[in-house]
Amino acid sequence: MASEHSINRYRHWYVKLLRLYPEAYHHRFAREMEQTFNDLLRERVGKEDSLLRFVIRIFCETLLAIIQQNLSVMFRQNQRLIRILLAVASILIVPLIAMQFSNEVVWTLTDFIIAGALLLGIGLTYELAARKGGNLKYRAAVLLALAATLLMVWLNLAVGIIGTESNPANLMYIGVLAVGIVGAILARHQPTKLARALFATALSQTIVTIIALVANLGSPENGPLKIVILNALFITMWIASALLFLYSHTPTLKSHPPSPEH
Amino acid sequence: MGRISHFNAPLTPAVLHILLALSIQERHGYGIMKQVEADSQGKVKMGPGTLYGAIGRMIESGLISESDKKIDPALDDERRIYYQITALGQKTLAAELDRYREIIALARQRRLSPITSTYGI
Repeated sequence: MASEHSINRYRHWYVKLLRLYPEAYHHRFAREMEQTFNDLLRERVGKEDSLLRFVIRIFCETLLAIIQQNLSVMFRQNQRLIRILLAVASILIVPLIAMQFSNEVVWTLTDFIIAGALLLGIGLTYELAARKGGNLKYRAAVLLALAATLLMVWLNLAVGIIGTESNPANLMYIGVLAVGIVGAILARHQPTKLARALFATALSQTIVTIIALVANLGSPENGPLKIVILNALFITMWIASALLFLYSHTPTLKSHPPSPEH
Repeated sequence: MGRISHFNAPLTPAVLHILLALSIQERHGYGIMKQVEADSQGKVKMGPGTLYGAIGRMIESGLISESDKKIDPALDDERRIYYQITALGQKTLAAELDRYREIIALARQRRLSPITSTYGI
């Protein structure tokens, strides 16, 4: 017979599994599903057949329903997804057409795949952030941070920021992006924490710039001026995005009643 | 619009069984599950995922609605959401049962089932 400990463990796991449902569905039905699962467990305890086998069956059944619900939500929102895909296709069609008329533009299949994946990733991330709400400034901040990320990856893959694209010093930018990505994940959509993550990203990029200049890592291809200009562009973008996040959070302050002298 | 299409469409087994279970009285999720199992003599066993997926769609289509949140004395002291069939749900169930009657009548007419008498058709 199953111990109380294992029954509690199954309940705990089931609650965790239910979190995979879309948010609205989880909010509406998770408590009831948990109650029903408890009822089913109570009914099963003491019966001869294996409780574990029963639990696995219920988990598989619920997991299938979770997949179905998530797909259903995705299909309901596919209009936005189609818009993102169309935007990515329209951007990629530019080099494709340019290749037909000029020998200056030479994109391989890998280039198209990388660029497509990058643009799609940025588009989907923006969509995810926009879905979480936020005002125009918040969305602009997200867009700016994503544009800086895209530009940094693209520049590094194409020509390199420090020296050429094959210069290993450019690998330092992975660290810069990691600071931003980890910070954004930890921030959980909170504007002030996102701003802090972007200020940290700007700071790490400043450190990379100083290292590149002091150690003269860009020579002979890139002089100090080019390194400073390119990095300053990104630092400005990170800071601008951080300020927009901070600014997106301030309207609550404006809602204070006017002072008596006005 | 959605309601009309659901009204005319053949119902899925889960929806039909839930409507049948709620046709007599309002029930909570576990109650529906047990009634469906009893009605089908253990042949239809719905898990929570299937049950609440169907309940969500049926509420959206107007076939059922939430009733009160109350305690089931037979289970525990936890408050539970009860569900009840709506007028549209009753119409849909009646239409579905009519459809079944027509099919059975056709089967009888064509002598397709040698054991029809055992089911009292």
